[in-house]
Amino acid sequence: MLSLMILIPLACLLLISFLPLKGKRVAFAVVMALAFFQIYAVFSPSIMANRHLPGLASVFNFTLAVDSLSRIMLLCIGIVIFIALLAAGPFVKEEDKRFYFSGLMILELMGLNGVVMVRDIFSMYVFWEVAAAASFVLIALEKKRDPLEGAFKYLIFSSVATVFVLSAIAIILLISGSTSFTDIRVALLVTPHSNLIILAVGVFLAGLFMKAGVMPFHGYLPDAYASAPAPVSILLAGVVTKTLGVYTAMRIVIDIFGFSTALKSILLCIGLISAIFGALAAMGQKDLKRLLAYSSISQVGYIFLGFGCGTPLGIAAAIFHIFNHTVFKSLLFVNAAAVEDRLGTLDMGRMSGLASRMPITGTTSVLASLSLSGVPPLAGFWSKLFIILALWQSGLYGVAVTAVLTSLLTLAYMLLLQRRVFFGTPEKNMAGVVEAGFNLTLPAVILAILIAGVGLFFPYVVHTVIFPVVSF
Amino acid sequence: MSAQALTLFWPFCLFIVVLFVIGFYCLLVTFNLIRALIGLELLIKAVTLLLVLVGYVTAHEALVQSLVITLIVMEVVIIAVAAGIALGLHRHNKNLDTRQLRNLKG
Repeated sequence: MLSLMILIPLACLLLISFLPLKGKRVAFAVVMALAFFQIYAVFSPSIMANRHLPGLASVFNFTLAVDSLSRIMLLCIGIVIFIALLAAGPFVKEEDKRFYFSGLMILELMGLNGVVMVRDIFSMYVFWEVAAAASFVLIALEKKRDPLEGAFKYLIFSSVATVFVLSAIAIILLISGSTSFTDIRVALLVTPHSNLIILAVGVFLAGLFMKAGVMPFHGYLPDAYASAPAPVSILLAGVVTKTLGVYTAMRIVIDIFGFSTALKSILLCIGLISAIFGALAAMGQKDLKRLLAYSSISQVGYIFLGFGCGTPLGIAAAIFHIFNHTVFKSLLFVNAAAVEDRLGTLDMGRMSGLASRMPITGTTSVLASLSLSGVPPLAGFWSKLFIILALWQSGLYGVAVTAVLTSLLTLAYMLLLQRRVFFGTPEKNMAGVVEAGFNLTLPAVILAILIAGVGLFFPYVVHTVIFPVVSF
Repeated sequence: MSAQALTLFWPFCLFIVVLFVIGFYCLLVTFNLIRALIGLELLIKAVTLLLVLVGYVTAHEALVQSLVITLIVMEVVIIAVAAGIALGLHRHNKNLDTRQLRNLKG
């Protein structure tokens, strides 16, 4: 039944494309329903059970599988698509644009679901490209100058990353002669060509790092995030780069290559560079969304730090942090969208004291900032704590201490943002500003409840959701 | 690996490496959007050739054939989107110079 997660979006996409013009108004509702279905499906054992489709539909049996890791990603995808759609209201206004937007969202949903569920290296590439192509068009949908520029940069980087990954796939094919994960894993264990394997791992990871936008390969990421329309920024920062880069790296390393000492040190090194320099670069930003983009780079660094430990605790912490990052970064981008909607600008120099004008946006953004900087008892604190504990447990004391200190940098730039945008007394040019509309405050409130809820009920969440991931 | 496959292997490898180098060189030095796309195409062609070579050497021609056809389709999609974006940029800037793409920085 897992193929339903790909087939239903595809069917919906075809269906809404053939509707007459009036019927295209339902496109938004269709995507919303799909997002709900996704969230429902993650918790429904009958859909998650890998039974084959009956009857004629059995033509569509791919090699799909889910484990707890995939389920968390599927949940993140569902939540973010839902939030991005809610927030899209004030930004995608024209009728036909709404239709294209919904279609692309469905495509994105399908691509990401595919990447998360396939267990075949080449199908993974195909879904990768589906999701990537959809996000290029989504960024450039408005055909304005800056989004086109951001989309072009993203496209070039992403395609070069694809070339790297495909070369790695070719090398793996040379060694193992198969594309399914299990076959490759078996073949890699017995092969005498260890140099080729090292080459394949190196090239593969270089591609994935580019996709994830970690620090030495991050050139396109702030441009793409900052220039994209607000709902697309939410989508990109929340799941797209996380699924295409970080999740795929985890999947490949856990399922195929396995941890070696060299691999761990590469991951830790990249993670550390990304965490520190992402935070430092975020300090100097004037544009609200650019600051959030650099902060995203920094948090991906944290995820790689946890993952690079290679211990079950480290992997669990990394996954927990992916989920938390999805929630709080989406919330911050929703807040940025609310501010952009009311002020028409993202320049932080022209904002002041917005918290008194926009109480819901102000309050939720404080919650998200505190969660991001790791202040107890919010969700972000626990995942960061786990990452640092995992580093300490692996004997990497220096890295653990640096991670704690970087967390202070995170707090510093988030407070900088809060002070410039939300705190203080509003200046005269803020007089006419009122709270953003219902479709920007509702997602903010939902995500804020998630942050607080996961933080307060974290023992339950950790034992039922996060730790089962590493019980393989 | 048969003897005949081996004799073909190294010339092919050399050609693929040359294509990769040309593609990366093209991407790095050009200031033209369309030329950047041509560089990208060269890179993808090199990878396609690499896959074909791998299929030939390991005698998995059928598998690799299906992979390469899929790859060509995906490549066309990406290049079509890229060409559309380049066209949009041309409408705004009236030229294809990448040095004009300096609006976003920081």
